[in-house]
Amino acid sequence: MSLLKPFSKLPGLNTANILLVESEEQFQQSLADALVEETSVTVNVRLAKSLPLPMENDESRPRIDLVVFIINLTSELSFQSAEASLKYLDPGYFLGKVCFMVTNARNASSPAERLDAVRKLASSLHCPLLFAEDQTPDGVASATERLLTILKVAAGLVPIATALYVSNLTRCTLPLDIDLPSFD
Amino acid sequence: MADGRAAAQLSEAAQSELLDMCEEQFAQLEKLQNEIILCEPDFCENPQEQSVKRLIATEAELKQWSTVEPQLLAENPKILLEAGKEEMHKLCSELEMVASCYEAKRDKLKETMELEQKWLEENKQMLAAASGHNERLQIEKEKLSEHTVLQDIKEKIQKMKVYQERLMETLGYILEKHIPLPQEDSSTNKKKKNVPHEIHENLISLNEILEILMNKALNTPHDPYVVIDDTFWPPYVEMLLRYGIAVRHHENNFKIRLETFF
Repeated sequence: MSLLKPFSKLPGLNTANILLVESEEQFQQSLADALVEETSVTVNVRLAKSLPLPMENDESRPRIDLVVFIINLTSELSFQSAEASLKYLDPGYFLGKVCFMVTNARNASSPAERLDAVRKLASSLHCPLLFAEDQTPDGVASATERLLTILKVAAGLVPIATALYVSNLTRCTLPLDIDLPSFD
Repeated sequence: MADGRAAAQLSEAAQSELLDMCEEQFAQLEKLQNEIILCEPDFCENPQEQSVKRLIATEAELKQWSTVEPQLLAENPKILLEAGKEEMHKLCSELEMVASCYEAKRDKLKETMELEQKWLEENKQMLAAASGHNERLQIEKEKLSEHTVLQDIKEKIQKMKVYQERLMETLGYILEKHIPLPQEDSSTNKKKKNVPHEIHENLISLNEILEILMNKALNTPHDPYVVIDDTFWPPYVEMLLRYGIAVRHHENNFKIRLETFF
């Protein structure tokens, strides 16, 4: 089992590397296209269907600063795949270098229980949970902006802020009573 | 790293000073990196244990931040000026964005307030109208006593009676003038002289036919039909039926009733 480690490689100069993990590979590409548009830092986007990452290009792979799990709420497989992939991450990643992004949360065919399950998962791992709209350009742009904010901190490009510090503020917290209607 | 671009405009001395600093930092980074790799990896699957570790890490970070001494970025004032300028520009543009955002918010709130005020005004007017109406009703209620109500109704009944009287009189007058008894009719009309005389004797006037029909309709509303006998002059019956004053029974041709005008 090859664990992905946050500090196994040296960082690049003024560079941030993000890994998008999505089993369905629908939202990944448009999000990646928007992410690399960023001008103030060099953003490298790596795409994966699931973890673990293949061994062959392990050497050429840069240090991953942020791992994003994209979960489509209308598909159970998407959630299961993300859950299974979590095992291949070094615990060091969970100190602010992982985040979950949920799509299709407003879709009527996505069961509320699945959202609750994702919420539980994110809060048990102390990771932020983002909601994104993948159908419209506006939704992609705002999702990109939010990811970039987290990514810059996770890559150490923001003075005085560290990933652990920010994640303590942005992590998903479970409401005390999960049965209460959630206000998203 | 952030002031790397700014350094392009600086003197060579300052630039080399910055590069030296960067190299120094990178050397330290490499040293730390090696330390991390040499560290024993510790696995923990238990989420509770992970939480504890997270807490420890956060505490360590807190301690680090609280003990660290603030350090000047560089000694060279030119570098500091350039870095400060850049920071200021960034801050300025961010603040401008915040300002425009708040202006938009303020305008929206103003609009909402105007709408709410209009709504409040309308509601106030409505309240005034309703309370005025209420007051008027109250005054009226005080004025009205049982006696006056009785008086009122008596007056109304009287009026109705007078009206009905007048209607009856008019009806009688019209019937008398335009639809006289068939006997007189036949006496003036030569053609009708051939009609047998004995039938005429029992004939009743249209006046009476109408009276019978009306009484029947009022006294026995469940069965308002009247049997046509030989006292009813057929042309009169025909006329009543034709002008929709009377209706024939569905099954029995010899029965008629008054049309339901109400």
